[in-house]
This record gives sequence, C-alpha cells and structure tokens, in this order.
Amino acid sequence: MGKEVTLSGTAAASQAVKMARVDVICSFPIRPYTAVMMELSKMVANGELDAEFVHGEGEHAQLSVCYGASAAGARTFTGSSGVGVTYAFETYSPISGARLPVQMMIADRTLDPPGDFGSEHTDAMSCRDQGWLMGWAETPQEAFDNHLINYRVGEDPRVMLPQFVCQDGYFVSHLPGKVKLPDQAQVDDFLPPYKPPHPLDPKKPVSHGPQIRPDQGVIMDLQRAQAFLDVPKVIREVIDDYNRIFGRNYSPFVEEYQTDDAEVVFFIQGAHALTARNAIRHLRAKGLKIGLVKLRFVRPFPTEEVAAVLSKFKAVGVVETSTSYGGAMRGGNLLHEVRAALYDAPSRPLTTSFMAGMGGEVIRLEEFYWMAEMLAAAVKSGKVGKYVYWVGFEAAA
Amino acid sequence: MAVAVKTQNLPGMKKIRDIPKEEYYLPGHRTCAGCGPALQYKLVAKAAGPNTIFIGPTGCMYVANSSYLCTPYAVPWIHAQITNGGAVASGIEAAYQVLIRKGKWEGELPNVIVMAGDGGSVDIGLQAMSAMMYRGHDALFICYDNESYANTGIQTSPTTPYGSNTTFTPPGPAVPEGKKLFPKDPPQLVIGGHPAVKYVATASVAYPVDLMNKVRKGLNVQGPTFLHIHAPCPKGWKFDESKTIDLAKLAIHTGMWILYEWDNGQYKYQHKPREYKPVGEYLKLQQRFAHLTEEHIARIQAFVDAKLKAPGIPVAVPVPPPQAVA
Amino acid sequence: MFVIPKEREVPFAGVTPAPVGAQRMMITGNWRTYRPVINHEECNLCMNCVIFCPDACWQLNEAEDEVVWNYEFCKGCLVCMNECTTNALTKAHELDFEGGVVRLEKLF
Repeated sequence: MGKEVTLSGTAAASQAVKMARVDVICSFPIRPYTAVMMELSKMVANGELDAEFVHGEGEHAQLSVCYGASAAGARTFTGSSGVGVTYAFETYSPISGARLPVQMMIADRTLDPPGDFGSEHTDAMSCRDQGWLMGWAETPQEAFDNHLINYRVGEDPRVMLPQFVCQDGYFVSHLPGKVKLPDQAQVDDFLPPYKPPHPLDPKKPVSHGPQIRPDQGVIMDLQRAQAFLDVPKVIREVIDDYNRIFGRNYSPFVEEYQTDDAEVVFFIQGAHALTARNAIRHLRAKGLKIGLVKLRFVRPFPTEEVAAVLSKFKAVGVVETSTSYGGAMRGGNLLHEVRAALYDAPSRPLTTSFMAGMGGEVIRLEEFYWMAEMLAAAVKSGKVGKYVYWVGFEAAA
Repeated sequence: MAVAVKTQNLPGMKKIRDIPKEEYYLPGHRTCAGCGPALQYKLVAKAAGPNTIFIGPTGCMYVANSSYLCTPYAVPWIHAQITNGGAVASGIEAAYQVLIRKGKWEGELPNVIVMAGDGGSVDIGLQAMSAMMYRGHDALFICYDNESYANTGIQTSPTTPYGSNTTFTPPGPAVPEGKKLFPKDPPQLVIGGHPAVKYVATASVAYPVDLMNKVRKGLNVQGPTFLHIHAPCPKGWKFDESKTIDLAKLAIHTGMWILYEWDNGQYKYQHKPREYKPVGEYLKLQQRFAHLTEEHIARIQAFVDAKLKAPGIPVAVPVPPPQAVA
Repeated sequence: MFVIPKEREVPFAGVTPAPVGAQRMMITGNWRTYRPVINHEECNLCMNCVIFCPDACWQLNEAEDEVVWNYEFCKGCLVCMNECTTNALTKAHELDFEGGVVRLEKLF
C-alpha cells in the first residue's frame, strides 16, 4: 500500500494537506515555508486538489481568512516563518478561544532583526502561550505524519483546538528525505470529515464571539484550560490509530534513542536530533553511556512523560534552538519546562541548557561531542558547570 | 471547478410601504438611543434577508450590539478583529464556494456582509478591505461611517471631518481647529484601483429606501461591492439624539455627504439638492464643531465646494493650503 | 474537572444562539426618560416611525391597521416623534409626577 518517495519537508507537508482533503488554503510568501504553498497551488491548478487557494495579503490575513473559513465549516491550512509568524500574533488567541481547529505549518526561521533566513525555533515558541497545539518534526516523514495527526487531534470534539505543525527551516523544509506515502483510502479511514458543532450557517443561525464581561472571560479561559487537560488522552488514542493504520511506530510524546543504560541524554526537539543520533553512535563507540530523548509535542507539554523518562538519567543536556532573553535560566525556554516537569520527581537529574544551532547554523558533530563532555564532567563532579552554554562561544574550561 | 454564482435577485423598492416587515436586527442591543449605525444595521439586515452571514469587526456595532454574551442578529454573525473584517469575510466566502462545490452544503451562496466602522474600513482595516476587493470575493463590504473611533470614546479616524473636536484632537491655543487633517474618501479608494469591483455606492440613514436598494444591488452584483453609509452619532457629534435623521439630511443638503452610485464605471447621483445650504447650517447643530471660527468654516466650505464643482466626475480634492493666522 | 456554578456557565467557545423576535437578555426599555405617545386618529400610516427606529420598536399591526409600540425596548430617543409626518406622536415623561406621587402609566 502506498509508495516511498524522496521529498523535502515542505513537499511532504503539501502531500499530507492534499490527502487530508483540505477545503481552504491561504497563502503568503516568506522563506522558508513558501515552498509548501507553491506545491499546493500546483496541485490546485492541475485539478489534483479541490480547494480554494486564497492569496492572503499578509500573514495576519492568512490566519484571519482561515478563522472565517473554519467557522463556516471548512478544513483550513496556512503557514508561515519568522516575522510572518509574529505578524499574525493578534489572531492566535481569537482562533484558539473560538475553538477553531485551523492548522498552521511553521517552517521556523530566526526572527528579525535583521533578515536571517536561518532556522530558529523562537518564532513558533513565542506563540506557545496562545492555546494552540505545537510540536516539531525531525524528518520529512515525520512532518508528513504530523500534519495528518494534528488534523485528527485538533478536530476531535473533545479538543477543537488549532495546531502549529513545525519543522526546522531548511534542515527539514528543504533537505530531502524518504517519505512513505499512504493510499488515500488509508487517510480517509484515519481522518473523518471536519464537523464543527456550530458552523456559520443561515439555516441554523448562531452568533460567534459576542462581547463578554470579565466574570465571563474567566470561564472562557477555563474552557481552554480544561481542553488542554483532555488533549493528551486524545493524542495517545490518535497515535495508536495512526501507527495501526499506517504501520508506524511513534510514541505520542517522547521518543527515546539508546537510553536503556544511558547515564546522560540530550533532550531535543526538531531536526538537529538527526545529528544528535549520529553523535551518540560515535560517543557510544568511545564508551560514553549517552542517549537521546526527543520531544514530539511541546504544547501540551507532556509533563508526566518527561519527568518519568528524564528522572532515569544522571544528567540531561537540553539542546535549544530558541531564545528567551531574560528568562529564569537566561537561555532558551525548553530548560524552564524541563526543570518545572522535574521539580517534584523523586529523582532529579542535573540539567543544563545548550544553545546551539542559533541563527540557523548547523550543529556540528564536534559540538555534540563537546556538549557530551560537559555532561560527563557534570556527572563526575556532581554539578553542572553552568546552566546555559552558548555552544562554540564558551571560554575553555 | 465551477464557482458558486449567486442567482438571487433581491428586488428593488420604490417606497416605504415596499419595505419588507421582517426584522433581522432585533430590539435588545446596548447601542445609544438614536444611534445612526444601529439604524443602518437594521435597514441593511432587512434588505439582505435571512440568507445572510454578518462579519462584525470590533467597534460600536460589535461591542454595543453584543454586550454581554448576547446579540440582536437573527442571522449568523461572527466577530472579527478590527484589523481583519475583509479577511474573515473572504474566508467565509471561500469556504462556502468550496462547501457548495463539494456538495457539503446546499443552497444559494449566502450574502456575506462585513459591517465595519470607518476605522475598520479605511484605517486599521484598510489592508484587509482592499485585499477582499482585489481578490474578487462575492461579498459586500459596508463601511458604516460615524466619523470617529466611537466605541473607544470618540477618537479621530481618517473619516473624521476637518475641525472636529475628538478626544485625540481637542481644540486648544496650539491647535485651534482641533482636527487639522482632511478626511479620506473611502469609495474613491475602492473605485480607483480594484478591477474586480463593479459597484460602489454611498448611502445615508436619511434615505432608507435608497439605502436598502443599494444594499440589494450590492448583494445582487457578482463579486465584491462596497457601500459607504453615513450614520450620525449623537454621542460623538454631540447633538440631541432625536435629531439623527435631521443631521443626516442636512449633511446631504449642505454637500458634506454626497449620495451616489458608481455602477460599472457610470456615476449616478441620488437626492441631489436643488440648492446647497451653507455648511454652517450643518456644523452649528453639532457641539463637536462649536469651537470653529469663521475661517475654519470657510475652509470646510471650500473643501465641499471643490467636491461639488464637478458633478458626475469626482475629483481628487487638494487640501486647501493653510492660511496664515492673523 | 473544574467546578463552575451553573449561573456562571458560558456557552462553548462563546457561541450563542441567534435571538428570535427580540434579544431578551438586553432589555432597554428602562433607559428612557420620555416615551412616545401615539394618537392613532392623527396617524396616516406613513411608516416613518417604523422605518427610522434604530431599535425596531414601532411595528405595523396589519390586522388592526395601526402601528404598535414596543415598551420593553424603546430607549426614548424620540427620533420617531421627530420624523412623524403628522401630529400623531407626542412625548410624555416616563415617570409622571403629579401631586408628588410617582405614577407609572403602565406597569413594567
């Protein structure tokens, strides 16, 4: 069933969106996500995909068009990168609070200033408080799968939440990888049509979003707070289903690699996990007991799973490719979430953050070896040297 | 892939007795007594009928109408940001195109109507409005013009007349006229450069039959259409709330508001006064102009005169050069 | 699960049903200080009051062939009185102070 092809992350995403039978797409060009829209427009033009391809006048408009279309009962898709993601910021909470399962692909990109086409997670991570699901893909295959999984989770009546489906700009969006494409029948089996509870329909008039008082506002907040408590269960169900129908082997929230007897691990989301795996194989050959824990969803953050997995190890190096200037640990934001998850764990590893791949640079194998050295030294001395290392820019120990 | 084409032909009305009695903008909304925008909303909803979806960008016709957790609309309605009325409407229209085409929804393409204030049309909402006009969506964009950002407490907007007292343009020794800038001309913004637009009109609550006919025409015409509706605001303009219609009529009789249609390139004027009254007659009824001197009023008169000089051919009106203060 | 008292419930995603007839959650009749009073004898059924009321508080009763006033929602703006083409509409104080006694014309 299906076929195996070689696709970039953006091409893989476009295949998933097509097979998801999307209804309304809203485009606007910005590097590096644009390619997904170019692929989709070709599919619409040659009749492969029956969807409205709307040329948005900007990223804020892309999201606004999808808000209206989703409220009217259409399955929607849009995307952006970098400052495009932050330009649309006003729309994220309205879409989430209105419980419209809009799907947005983010091929991440360093935020201005000034123009930098390289990948960083900061653009999407800046939106993590807005009430959307969010997670990164490591490969084009995972990107393809994540788009379908997110439609199904987001549109589930117990969830009804929009989704940021993220992939590293260039490293996933533009580098080719093997993708097993399923049959359309398998996708139709997995993903039922989108059925919102109260669409904008003259046959059944409703009002979406009247003005509220503050005492009503808190109840609106609680609705979403409850939804995010309910999401993990749905994700587990959906991943089970996905694995069964498509023959994959995803674990819903965290993926472990060579962790059975590991003493230290890299904790990472996204493309650089690929390099990390290579580094781990090399380091293992040299005798270091090191593994990888990869995060698949950062929202909802899988607190229990992360605590359970990471408390097995002596030290965790959180490899971050995003900034949170002035944050508690003065680094990225993943370390904050990890430490919060581990706070009550009966056994807490040493944790430190490695700022790497910033600005869109590759994380070199040598840099992973250096990080591993830091982790090993921490285990030996019983404490981390620093909580945040900007890899490649630290003074020699 | 066929695009859903509207086959409806909402009939025109000749007299008040032709007006349908069904209300789709019901009693029970928190708008001010005598509110011009509320009145035009009622008339628009009446003209459009039940197969309609309204988009409500933030503004008086959102906040006042829907406080709290209740609305007066008998037809589907959705809140939009003040920035994106045109974009949200575009999304709804696109959704209906594809839902009808895919057989997921059956019926006549609904009327999609954006009900945006002047700010939500030509200031913060300008980009989205223009893009909707450019992309050719089959939808009607209505700018209800109460000449200010009224909901936030009467601040100046690009359609606020020169010389208005607003809370961002208070008159004082340094700025005697209050507002120094002359207003944008919304219909002209649309007519000038959007090839997909075939019908643009201005209307006023002063002439409800004319207003409703223009709404129906805008809905019958395929593609994007734009209506600029004058809706006097007793609170913002500071006049007795029972005089809303008087003010609207006087605006037309002084030339401060011109009723016209631009229909596939042809201009046609409605309710043109035989003789124009001096603008002072209109200005003196509103406290927002109470601080103006003869000189200021003369500048307003010059602005209006220039606009009226070429009936049938709207001209780009140059702002009168500042005169030296004596 | 959170405990939300029934009287504080907010519909899912803030989606409310469309009203029928009138929006009874926003009664505005208690705003007015003056009310319009109609003399049906003088009324020529020009329909100005019906058309110009921003709150749709005048409606034509076709069976009785007269216009009917909505006391529950009328805000007392008196646009109708201003636009009346005959002398059919006059105004009366909402609270009728006579002899120091507050007398309501009609029980609310």
